[in-house]
Parts: sequence; structure tokens; C-alpha cells
Amino acid sequence: MGKLGVVGEWIKDRKEHLDLFDETNVHRQGNPFYLLGPMVYYFWLITIVSGLLLMIWYEPTTAGAYNSILHIQHEIPLGWLIRGLHKYGADALIIAITLRIYRMYFLGEYKKPGELSWMIAFASLILAMISGITGYLLIWNQRAFWAAKVVLTVPIYFDELPLIGQTRFGSAIAYIFLGGPAIGQATLTRFYMIHFSISVIALILTEIFFQRTRRKRLNMSLASVLVFFLMLAAISYLLPAELGRRANPDRTPLPILSDWYFLALYQFVKYTPPLWAGLGPGLLIAFGMLVPFLDRSKGRRPSERPFFTVVGIMALVYFLVFTVLILFNIAVIERDPPIILAITVVVLALGLLWEIRYRRRQLGQLVSSPKPAENPASE
Amino acid sequence: MEERVNRRTFLKLLMGVPAFGAIAAALSPLLRYLKPNLPPYQLNPLTVGDKPHGSPVVAATLSELREPWSYKYFTFVQQYPQYTPEGFKNATVPGVVIRLPRKVVLPWEWAGEKRKESDIVAFSRICPHLGCIFNYVPEWKEITSGYGGYVPPPDRRHALMGCPCHLSIYDPADPDVPGRVLSGPAPRPPRTFLFAVKEGDIVITDVEPGGIA
Repeated sequence: MGKLGVVGEWIKDRKEHLDLFDETNVHRQGNPFYLLGPMVYYFWLITIVSGLLLMIWYEPTTAGAYNSILHIQHEIPLGWLIRGLHKYGADALIIAITLRIYRMYFLGEYKKPGELSWMIAFASLILAMISGITGYLLIWNQRAFWAAKVVLTVPIYFDELPLIGQTRFGSAIAYIFLGGPAIGQATLTRFYMIHFSISVIALILTEIFFQRTRRKRLNMSLASVLVFFLMLAAISYLLPAELGRRANPDRTPLPILSDWYFLALYQFVKYTPPLWAGLGPGLLIAFGMLVPFLDRSKGRRPSERPFFTVVGIMALVYFLVFTVLILFNIAVIERDPPIILAITVVVLALGLLWEIRYRRRQLGQLVSSPKPAENPASE
Repeated sequence: MEERVNRRTFLKLLMGVPAFGAIAAALSPLLRYLKPNLPPYQLNPLTVGDKPHGSPVVAATLSELREPWSYKYFTFVQQYPQYTPEGFKNATVPGVVIRLPRKVVLPWEWAGEKRKESDIVAFSRICPHLGCIFNYVPEWKEITSGYGGYVPPPDRRHALMGCPCHLSIYDPADPDVPGRVLSGPAPRPPRTFLFAVKEGDIVITDVEPGGIA
């Protein structure tokens, strides 16, 4: 069992260096970017606690959901606060996870032995987004209804794939998540279960991790804890979490937007044929998860691995540009995609050229001054 | 690292096959637990009595649709047999019936009608892209301003249909393919309704089967 042993050894090593919420980087917290880990944990806990409190009043039925949220927002004492904490806590959580992932990406923290930490951080962003989309269907408003409809129609196009499409697994995915042929009570119940269980299961696993490693859970000063809480409370008061209009299956409003973190993806879906609307994000997730194994460069600084730095910046720019485009309702579907594709290809090619030039220069330096101490022969 | 599969390892591996089978057999009913109890009609073969049937509905009267480009929204109700106490599940299909300025060949191949021409056409408003409900937009400038900035070519500057979700634009009056996709990610034109004109009423009798794509 030689091969398995190697894999076991690899996993064991990465588990020892596993870092979920920057709890091994507390000494660096002079830099606010290293406060992001504790922020993720803190906002997550706020979301869980406020979510449990919302469950007291929430009614998971198609007829009663919207009314129960109206009730929470306007009639229950402090209901607006709990709902605001839940909504804005979740938004803050997603912002913190995203920023932390970018920090890990640009500082090369996903390199050995951080591969597993990176993969967990990246998966947590995906899970947070799934939590988000299952969570906002629970309001049963127009935005939620049509978002769920669109998201659960996308997998049906997987049936067009050659070979594996014939199993009709795409339709099966849609059918299982919908709980029937269309969005209805079964969908709401299933989304409620998914929304709740993602956090519960992740919380149990996190707790086991903290029990085993004996690390401190929340590495944040009391001042930060209070300030962040007050920020969430203030925004809940000043900008009450919105409700939208009650879901109406017979009318799609114009314009219709998703939650902010899906906007770029939404713009992408407008631009591409429907099969790619599902495959594109899938490839993006696969790329994100496999980054530690794709990036074979030695250095950790952004300038030491030009190609991946370019890819990271491009992803960030596309996220922002697509979000702005959809907010201004600009999408000329005949004109834009070729331009975007051309820019992507040119930028990636330039990134590759930069990488090649950088590596040549490194090689040249190595040849001209072969210092045995710096020669990475051991690698 | 010289490792060869010896007899013991091989037998152990062989033991794994029935063990794996047993686990799969135990898990299969658990997976079936996830399966909704309302069967979708695409997955299971239909018996004759199980086909959804719609109750004919008067979409509009001819006098309402006298002017070219006049239109009317309607809702067609399909009844799916369902093995529940209610017996039937209603599914509503929103539609639009339009008076065109010229005759087009109706895309009724699905109903066995090959060459029927008409200047009245009825579309299902379920977008064949991802299932949103699209709109009939009488003024093409509204398409440009509200649906992402698409500018139709000069010969198509008339009423169009546009989907709010992903901005697919359809031309209801295309002479060859009524409902042709002008712009956007939609993979096909919208589905059509079968109708007959009876005593000045436009009576919708059936809808092209299928949901999206």
C-alpha cells in the first residue's frame, strides 16, 4: 500500500498545519488582513445565533413565509434587529471570506503546507453562497422565487452533455432539489433544511477541530467584537433588511437582480449559452480548489509567480466589472462576449509571457552566479 | 519500493467487491429517500390517461385584436393527474396572443400541422432559456432601454418580446420562425399554443409540450 501511505502522510502533514480562522496567525494581527479569519468566525456565529432566533417566528410554508417575515420585521420587538443581524451578518461573512481568500491567494498562503487550509476556505465560500441562495428563497419574495427557478433550471442543461448527459442526471438534480416538478412547498422545505444543515454540520466539524487542537476559538479583542456588532446593529437600524415583493409565479419583474454576490455570475449567465451557465461556474470552482496543485512556482510573493497573479487580478476585475454592468443593466449579448473573450485571451497570454520572461531571468541569474547556498537543489 | 500484489492482498481486494456491493445496496434506499414523491412526467412513461390535459380557454375575441400588433395576455391551465387526495395538480402556463400585420406559417409541427398560415399567433410566455416569464413589449425602444441595450435591425423595429431575467429577445412576427431568437442566451423560440377561431373567439386548446430548452 505504498501509494496510499504517501497520500495518508500528505493528509496528516496538512492536517497538522490546518488553519481555519487564522488562529495560527494571531501574532500578525497588527495587519488587519490577518483579522479576517477571526472576523469570519465571529460573523458566522452571529449569523447562526440570529438564525436560530428567527426560527422561533419563521413559518416555512409557501402561504405563510412572507407574512411571518413581515411580522418579524415590523411587529416582533427587536425583530428588525435579529433579521438585520442575520442578513448583514451573512453579507459581512461573505465579504470576510472573500477578502481572506484573496489574501491567501496573493500571498501564496495556499502553498505547502497550506493546501488544505486553502481548500477549506474556498469550499466555505461556496457553502456560504449556497446558504445564501437557499436562505433567500425562505423569504418567498419575487427575487428569491425567480433566483431559485433559474438556479434549479440550469442543471437540466447538463442533460445535453455527451455520454453522461444520457443518464439525465441534470434533471435528477433539479428534481431532487425542487422536491417535485416545479417550485413549491417541497422546495421551500428542502431549502430550509439545506440552509440550516450547512451551518450546523460545519459548526460541529469546527468544534471538533478546536477541541482537538486546543486552540483559542475567537482571536479578537473585545473592542473589535463590540465594534463589529455595533456596525451590524447600526446598519440594521439605518437600512432595514429589505423584503421585496411577495413571490408571484405568473410575473417576472423587470429588472430583476439577485443578491450582490451573485450579480457577476448573473451577468455571465446572460452572456453564455445555457449549458455553459452551469459548466462555467463549475470550472471556476474546480480551478479554485485545485490552485495549490496547479501553481508549481517556488516563490510566495505575487511578483514571483506572475501568471497566477494576473489570473487573480483578472478574476477580481471581472467580478467588479460584471457587477457594475448588471447594476446599470447593460448587456448587449451580440456585442459584449467577443470583446470579453478577446480581452481574456490577451491578458492571459501576456501573463504567460511575463511568467516565461520571469523564469528565464531567474534561470539566467542562477547560471551566472551559481552560489551553492542559494541553489535550490533540494527541491 | 518494490511492491507486488501478493495472494493475501489480492484476496483482500476481492473481498472488497461484495462489501462495496453491500454498502451500495444499503445506501440505495437512502438515496431513494431524497426522491420527491410527485413524479415528473418527463421521467416516467405516460399512459394515455396520465397525459396532462388543458381546459380550453378563450384568450381573446377577434374584435379585441383588430389592430396590428394588438395583443392580450391570458393564462392556460393544464391539469396533471396526480395520485393524491386532490387528484389533479394545476399548472398554469401564461401566454400572449398577438395580431400580426402579416401572415406567418405557424410553428405547429408538434401538433402535426405543417403549413397553416395565420396572422394571429399565441406564444407561451415561459422563457425556453431558464423558465422566467417574458413580456410582450409593444414599443421596440423599450426593449433597447429596458432589456440591456439591444438595438434591433431596421426591418425588425416593431413590437418584440423580451425576458427580464437574461434578456433574450424574440421576434413574434418573423416570417419563417415566429418567435425567432434575436438576441440573448435562449436556445430556441418560445413554445406555441394551438388555437381555433370559433364565433369570433380565439380559443386556446393545447400547448406545445415541454418546459425549457
